[in-house]
Amino acid sequence: MLKMQHVSKIYRTDLVETHALRDFGVHVREGEFIAVTGPSGSGKTTFLNIAGLLETFDGGSYLLDGEDVGRLNDRRRSRVRNEKIGFIFQGFNLIPDLNVFDNVDVPLRYRGFDAAERRRRIESTLDLVGLGSRSKHIPAQLSGGQQQRVAIARALAGSPRILLADEPTGNLDSLMARQILELIEDINARGTTIVMVTHDPELARRAARSIHIIDGKVSDLEPFDPPAVAIEARASA
Amino acid sequence: MFRYYLRLALLSLKRNPILSTLMVAAIGIGIGVCMTALTVYYLMSADPIPAKSSQLFAVQLDSWDPNQPVSEARPEQAPWQLTYRDAMALRESDIATHETAMYYSARIVVSENEAVPPFLAWVRLADADFFSMFGVPFLYGGPWSSEVDETARPVVVLSKRTNEQVFGGANSVGSDLQLDDQIYRVVGVLEEWNPIPKIYDVNNGPFNDTEDIFLPFSLAELASDRRSEGNTSCWKDEDITSYTGFLNSECVWIQYWAELDSPAQVREYQAFLDNYVREQQRLGRFERPLNNRLTSARDWLDVREVVRDDNRVLVSLAFMFLAVCVLNTVGLLLAKFAGKAPQISLRRALGASRGTTFAQYLVEIGLVGIAGGLLGLGLAFLGLAGVRSFEGEYSKLAHLDPVLVGAAILIALLSSLAAGLYPTWRACRIPPAAHLKTQ
Amino acid sequence: MEIRPILSALLRNRTGAVLIALQIAVTLAVVINAAHIVKQRLDLIGRPTGMDVANIFEVHSFDFAGEFNYRERVRGDLELLRNMPGVRAATVMNQVPLSGGGSSSGYFREPEREGPEVAGNHFTVDEQAVDTLGVSLSAGRNFRLEEIDYMDLDNVDVDSVLVTAAFAERLFPDGDALGSTIYSGGGDPLTIIGIIEHMHGSWVDWEELDQVVLLPVYVEQDFVRYVVRTEPGRRDEVLGIVEQKLSELDRERAVRGVRSMEELAAESYRGDRMMAVLLTAVIFLLIAITALGIVGLASFSVKSRTKQIGTRRAIGASRFDIVRYFLVENWLITTGGVILGSVLAVAFNLWLVRTFELPKLDFIYIPLGILALWILGQLAVLGPARRAASIAPAIATRTV
Repeated sequence: MLKMQHVSKIYRTDLVETHALRDFGVHVREGEFIAVTGPSGSGKTTFLNIAGLLETFDGGSYLLDGEDVGRLNDRRRSRVRNEKIGFIFQGFNLIPDLNVFDNVDVPLRYRGFDAAERRRRIESTLDLVGLGSRSKHIPAQLSGGQQQRVAIARALAGSPRILLADEPTGNLDSLMARQILELIEDINARGTTIVMVTHDPELARRAARSIHIIDGKVSDLEPFDPPAVAIEARASA
Repeated sequence: MFRYYLRLALLSLKRNPILSTLMVAAIGIGIGVCMTALTVYYLMSADPIPAKSSQLFAVQLDSWDPNQPVSEARPEQAPWQLTYRDAMALRESDIATHETAMYYSARIVVSENEAVPPFLAWVRLADADFFSMFGVPFLYGGPWSSEVDETARPVVVLSKRTNEQVFGGANSVGSDLQLDDQIYRVVGVLEEWNPIPKIYDVNNGPFNDTEDIFLPFSLAELASDRRSEGNTSCWKDEDITSYTGFLNSECVWIQYWAELDSPAQVREYQAFLDNYVREQQRLGRFERPLNNRLTSARDWLDVREVVRDDNRVLVSLAFMFLAVCVLNTVGLLLAKFAGKAPQISLRRALGASRGTTFAQYLVEIGLVGIAGGLLGLGLAFLGLAGVRSFEGEYSKLAHLDPVLVGAAILIALLSSLAAGLYPTWRACRIPPAAHLKTQ
Repeated sequence: MEIRPILSALLRNRTGAVLIALQIAVTLAVVINAAHIVKQRLDLIGRPTGMDVANIFEVHSFDFAGEFNYRERVRGDLELLRNMPGVRAATVMNQVPLSGGGSSSGYFREPEREGPEVAGNHFTVDEQAVDTLGVSLSAGRNFRLEEIDYMDLDNVDVDSVLVTAAFAERLFPDGDALGSTIYSGGGDPLTIIGIIEHMHGSWVDWEELDQVVLLPVYVEQDFVRYVVRTEPGRRDEVLGIVEQKLSELDRERAVRGVRSMEELAAESYRGDRMMAVLLTAVIFLLIAITALGIVGLASFSVKSRTKQIGTRRAIGASRFDIVRYFLVENWLITTGGVILGSVLAVAFNLWLVRTFELPKLDFIYIPLGILALWILGQLAVLGPARRAASIAPAIATRTV
């Protein structure tokens, strides 16, 4: 599903070069739920940005769904993002001026679906995340957990092949965090591949497999053992 | 997609009402100032007879002083007007399809109606062809016959206004009208007709009203008591002691126009003029180098410099003003888009390409442009009302027409797009990953 | 507070600053040139005319019945006009000065067009013209009643003339004009019997506007133009009834065309007035737009630097320090703008001078303009700067 080999990414400023990723390799299979962990500055977010085609990389190769997406132009990259990838962010990133319905509508607009199709997809994904009755609310009227649900609905509405989540529960209290995590697991159970970045090893244990990044390299590709006890997701600042 | 962008644009404009208002105001004021200056310029330089302006030619003969050109500033030029005797000679030719000699004068209109006191009327003495050449519309009757151009008869064509004044607007064809102490027969009444500029005679106020009364040019030789009221220029020391002496003098005061329908006809007419002047040179006149000119009506306004320099200065200042407004809008848009960076970044992540983002914001900027254009039209309307308050020619040169309204919207759109190009380009360059981490 | 750190911050984030500087540059170029033109037009309109413009008007009489006696007509009308209460003097002229209508010829010191030629704008007048126009003689004497002849249009031939000092100086640079003889083309000699200190002629846009020649003659025509001067402040009163009074004297002619000299002059200066008014409006609108631009961008810059400002406050900057930061920043930007603007202003003026033969810029306008824009910039940025100063230091520690 997602295969990176020897990927490197260097950030350059006038004075310094930072190697965010070096000789980075990872293989995520279809339907997997993978957690990406690592300390601050290890390259987690860079990996996720490259995986989500938000950033380009300097060396190596990246196959997404069997397609080499490393050298696409902006238009094609945008298309791939729109069709195959769903994003969930720590800060939800809803558009404050738009109501719930219109927020979920954003990627569908770029997809070019007709109005009826968009409406069908928005309503069904909102039902899926349990917010079918809130479609006219604006984000400020919702709780953090509800906002993240809207964001998840937005990510799912286009039926992506892979969901990229960046600390999806980072801004939530423990109860809401658990509900969101359960929702993500549920989505995974329906067949969507999930890559979740977190710096919390306990949370990572919920995933089927975890990769650990240190200094821009994968340090461990071994799957964790299944968790013995339910882990309480921890709110992080 | 366009409608979606339009909805987003409206939302976005509503989100920052002060910034949006400032942008619309900047574009609007710029357009208002520009259109005010441009309207006066446009009307001053308008072609009042577009259908005929390439066939009608102003005729010039250089009969001026052998020792100096008529204008030191423009030594290549010949006098703008002709002497009476040369005009009479040119009238003999039948090369041109139509032609007319003419000048500007005045008469006192004495109405039989006691309620209408005698008044001074401005008069154009011209040949019958004048009316067809310049496309003058008639309400009643028509021009006098061409025999009148040969043998003077007291006939008159009235402007619509004069006919209303003297005959209450009734069909006065066939009626008598006293001008000074003579009775004339009315043969025609004009429809409203006011070419701007007054192309057939820019010597005597290029934005003056059309004359009140039209008389046959053939009456000129009898009109010793009512002479030309127009510009008359003389260079030669001649002992003029009578009207006949004046008619035979080297003073220039007659405007002359010929209608020439083909290049061959123009060449033939030019050759005729040159031959005539050579002939006159043998008689001791026309001591300057041969300089006979035929200028089409299309070029005449340029040659005569009808548009005042002041109006050009105003237009150039107005466009610099607009430039400041555009710069202003660029700054406001940059500020606005900087605030939108997270949203742009998010939309990019959700699949909007650079092109899509560019299109979305161009729609928003276009909307600002159109709103600015409409505001600008309103302001131009006020500005032109201000210009009209100076009266005189400005009351005629300060009106918006559909072309100008279109131009206003177009300039507004173009300047808003010019203002929006760089900020939008910058907005599209925001990397999709840049603003997703924090909010 | 040092300029260097502000400058380097500006240079790192220059787009906004460059925009404001450009805007100020163009504003300076336009405002300076527009103000220059306005001043020049106001000067033109306000030039001394040498005449009592405020108390003069004209009125026309025309006979249409064919047979009439010009001398009786003029004698009767003038007697009536001169005896009207409030009237100070009246004369007959071919045209009214400042009206845009008139005649001119070339004058010579030698007969037969020999020697230098000087243009003179000539008016036919009678002995009351000097008093009617309100001009003063600097030398010589006025026409006498018996010197005014009656002539027909094609045979105007007088012996003596009054000329303006400007005309006299052009033709007689040595100052011996009074009593000298001049010639109009190949005509008979004319003796200069008096010099008018100063007087404007017909065409206000003519460079030789003050070269005027008065000829003592009544030109016999059925159209007579009377020029009347009233006691100060009584013009409108006399002007209101003059048409009726003249008509009552003889109804077999038409009396029309009552116009004050003020009105005629205003028409002649119409283009200049419009230019002055429109350009003044342009100047004020432009200054307003630029000020709004500065306020807009400064507000934005305050908003986007909230955290930075909070940090500065937290580490000890006073409110005044913050305000000063923005004032200095604006001063730097404006200074950049006015330097560029001065160059633009001069270049634009050169273009105007070359293309439209406008007068050259008076260089005093540049420092004045710079000063004005400096003040404008500081005033415009003051509001946003004070808002910045009111940002709480605690903002620095808050993560948003």
